[in-house]
Amino acid sequence: MAASGATNDEMMDIGGAELDNNKNEKMFTLKKWNAVAMWSWDVECDTCAICRVQVMDACLRCQGDGNRQAGGKQPECVVVWGECNHSFHHCCMSQWTQQNKRCPLCQKEWSIQRMGK
Amino acid sequence: MSTPARRRLMRDFKKLQEDPPSGVSGAPTDNNIMLWHAIIFGPHDTPFEDGTFKLTIEFSEEYPNKPPTVRFLSKMFHPNVYADGGICLDILQNRWSPTYDVSAILTSIQSLLSDPNPNSPANSMAAQLYKENRREYEKRVKACVEQSWAD
Ligand SMILES: [Zn+2]
Ligand SMILES: [Zn+2]
Ligand SMILES: [Zn+2]
Repeated sequence: MAASGATNDEMMDIGGAELDNNKNEKMFTLKKWNAVAMWSWDVECDTCAICRVQVMDACLRCQGDGNRQAGGKQPECVVVWGECNHSFHHCCMSQWTQQNKRCPLCQKEWSIQRMGK
Repeated sequence: MSTPARRRLMRDFKKLQEDPPSGVSGAPTDNNIMLWHAIIFGPHDTPFEDGTFKLTIEFSEEYPNKPPTVRFLSKMFHPNVYADGGICLDILQNRWSPTYDVSAILTSIQSLLSDPNPNSPANSMAAQLYKENRREYEKRVKACVEQSWAD
């Protein structure tokens, strides 16, 4: 989320720089198109490809019965990012890595880059 | 009675209804979400064209970490389909990924009909005819297509 915000800021800067050379009208059209493209890309990456739930929400396993207290979110149900930059629920990924140590999306060897919210 | 595998299958079914891939369809059986019936329509410009091939897909509680068992109910003549309807396809065995869903499974099987792999045959007669006598291969496939309308 933070990363996409930064990218948008950069684009605004580029827009500002080019504003000096170009007419106002054209710049506005270009800026809007970029912002829309960014947004849809961001949403796609935020869904866990294993259980199909947003990585910021509790995974499908933790949403189950018996885990309803505290909004169904277990403390250990965090997001995990691999060196390949793919992200999943830690719960979903730890089930999968028991049988296969590769990223299910790009087949690269799975090693954890970071974990968190 | 809701388990992670069952909830994932509910999502697969919803996606299949909202965003149906062309040429395939599938649904859970009435009282068991772990057992699905599916139909693959023979791809255009292949000898399988016009066929309506029925399959069963059986999931375990380990889905999606383990692939389901997929089997043709319709009689098939294809290099990578066994006599009992079992399918020899890498993504259903050693190249399975937990990111696949029912929609991906069915479209992969559909493309296997267009592009058989005669080098890892499940039906050696079909593989041999596919490589050496394409006309006879197509004749045998056409017979399965006609039979698929009846069952
Ligand atoms: Zn997940
Ligand atoms: Zn979880
Ligand atoms: Zn990856």
